[in-house]
Amino acid sequence: MRSHYAHLGLLSQLSSALGHESARLELRWMMQALREASNRQRGSSLAEMVARRMSGEPLQYILGSQPFGPLNLLARSPVLIPRPETEHWTMRLSEYVTPSASRPISLLDLCTGSGCIPLLLCHLWPSGSVRAFGVDIASEAIQLASENTAICGFHTPSDNPPSQSPSFRNTFRPILSDIRDPTFLRKSGLYPPFHVVTSNPPYIPRREYDSLPPSVRDFEDRRALLGDPDSEQGDGLTFYRDIARLVANEKLLADDGVLAVEVGKGQAKDVERILQDQAKLPKTTIWRDPWLIERVVVATR
Amino acid sequence: MQDPDPTMQSLAREEQDDLLTKLTGLAEKTFPSLLVPPSPTAHLSAMLELKAGVGGSESSLFLTEIMRMYTRLAQMMGWQAVVVTNSTTDHGGTKDAVVEIKGEKVYDMLRWESGVHRVQRVPATEVNGRVHTSTVAVLVLPLVEDKGSEVDEDLFKMDEVRIEVMRARGAGGQHVNKTESAVRLTHIPTGITVSMQDERSQHQNRRRAFLVLRARLMDRKLTEEVTNRRDVRRSLVSSVDRSEKIRTYNFPQDRVTDHRIGLSLRNVASVMDGGGLQDFLDGLAKKHQDDLLEEAFNTL
Repeated sequence: MRSHYAHLGLLSQLSSALGHESARLELRWMMQALREASNRQRGSSLAEMVARRMSGEPLQYILGSQPFGPLNLLARSPVLIPRPETEHWTMRLSEYVTPSASRPISLLDLCTGSGCIPLLLCHLWPSGSVRAFGVDIASEAIQLASENTAICGFHTPSDNPPSQSPSFRNTFRPILSDIRDPTFLRKSGLYPPFHVVTSNPPYIPRREYDSLPPSVRDFEDRRALLGDPDSEQGDGLTFYRDIARLVANEKLLADDGVLAVEVGKGQAKDVERILQDQAKLPKTTIWRDPWLIERVVVATR
Repeated sequence: MQDPDPTMQSLAREEQDDLLTKLTGLAEKTFPSLLVPPSPTAHLSAMLELKAGVGGSESSLFLTEIMRMYTRLAQMMGWQAVVVTNSTTDHGGTKDAVVEIKGEKVYDMLRWESGVHRVQRVPATEVNGRVHTSTVAVLVLPLVEDKGSEVDEDLFKMDEVRIEVMRARGAGGQHVNKTESAVRLTHIPTGITVSMQDERSQHQNRRRAFLVLRARLMDRKLTEEVTNRRDVRRSLVSSVDRSEKIRTYNFPQDRVTDHRIGLSLRNVASVMDGGGLQDFLDGLAKKHQDDLLEEAFNTL
């Protein structure tokens, strides 16, 4: 009964920050996480978790994980937390492109972060149908993506001894590199073209960055959020122009390849134009997210 | 047996006893099973939806106990019970819950539990010692085996289901990192809606919502089949009215009464522990069997 009252106290604290309904759910998920951790070592108490949440820290960093489709990925500050919008379009992409072991494809994910996009595709596509690579500028991201790759069982033979012949498995390799460096492909040992290029690049314009919720602004890597890293102004679209240049000049995308990029609210039309004009990908489609916001531009030749 | 020879008499008596036993066997076991076809739902597991009714917090406390009653019963029967979703109140009660119970004949045994369960007792919170009456509504749905896919072509088509997320997310995407995993399904032809938000994973919530939707549609299909059956006699037990009060748990008198079969048993605690519940389930199953038999005779 005493712990019951303690929980009530924590619930009312959390409610003041999140509203009652979210507070009830999040408290429950914290208790679940503690129960699951209790067999190993108990890292923190419920009160500590609530205190961290009250300070604005994202729930996903406190619990150390985030579900993504059927996967449960590690989440750790400051690497961008996988979003439900990204989950939704990745699931859709897995049905839009259908590789098989007899027609395997290669995939490159730019600004891969936790590795969520290629890992979910590796999981959803048939065994032996995809070799995926991901690039990120942040070493924390590459470290986390590597751990997630091992957890999901898609590491490449050089990372770890293979459990079975590599050609029958899907693989994902995260690589530390700066995609804005013109020589990054050569430096990374990446060999274009790729059948599928995906990206959820930073797209938040500077003027929106300062008014982001503190749980985003104060805890997640600005390098994963700020769309124009070198500029105090801008429309947040720098990375789309860089990606378009890579497609146009470096033959990043196979002739029959598919490029899918996530965009911020209100950016889809502009990004569509960049991909048509600068990447020379004339056929474009816009996918909406479950909240009906234009979220992804899919482009082909 | 009128034979003057005593040996023949005793032989005839023996033979008569033997034949009578056989005849009774035929009349009580073989005949009914020939007339009443084997249950078409014997392979189905069950999904229990529990909702607190009148009585406020006392009702939600009783729901927690009813839920335990069914999970205890499941343990005794060797079934697997999983609480799929429950929303607890701040006072240790449960407003509503969905419990999945898997095993042989689970649906056939539990389906008569659908209806309003009434509790009469002095609530722990009552200072004046007055007896209150509260209710919990139980709905037992047939559970189709989860084949891994969301669609079950016999029950619905994917384009008949509208899948919605439930709350606004502003700009969404990178701008927001709040967990938003609630899902609502609407089966357009029937208007049935299912909402699920208990899991952090949208994928899980969606899977569970489809599980509940399949159970509701299966229930609807079975109910329709019963209603459409020729010359069906509306028996008390197989009544489709789920708002009917079916059982009273009277704590002061230490008595549980099932109003459909008029069965009263002492010892509320043993019923709440699952064991005593079996007597009611057996009684209801027998009543159902008798109803089917009567129906079969009437349609001969």
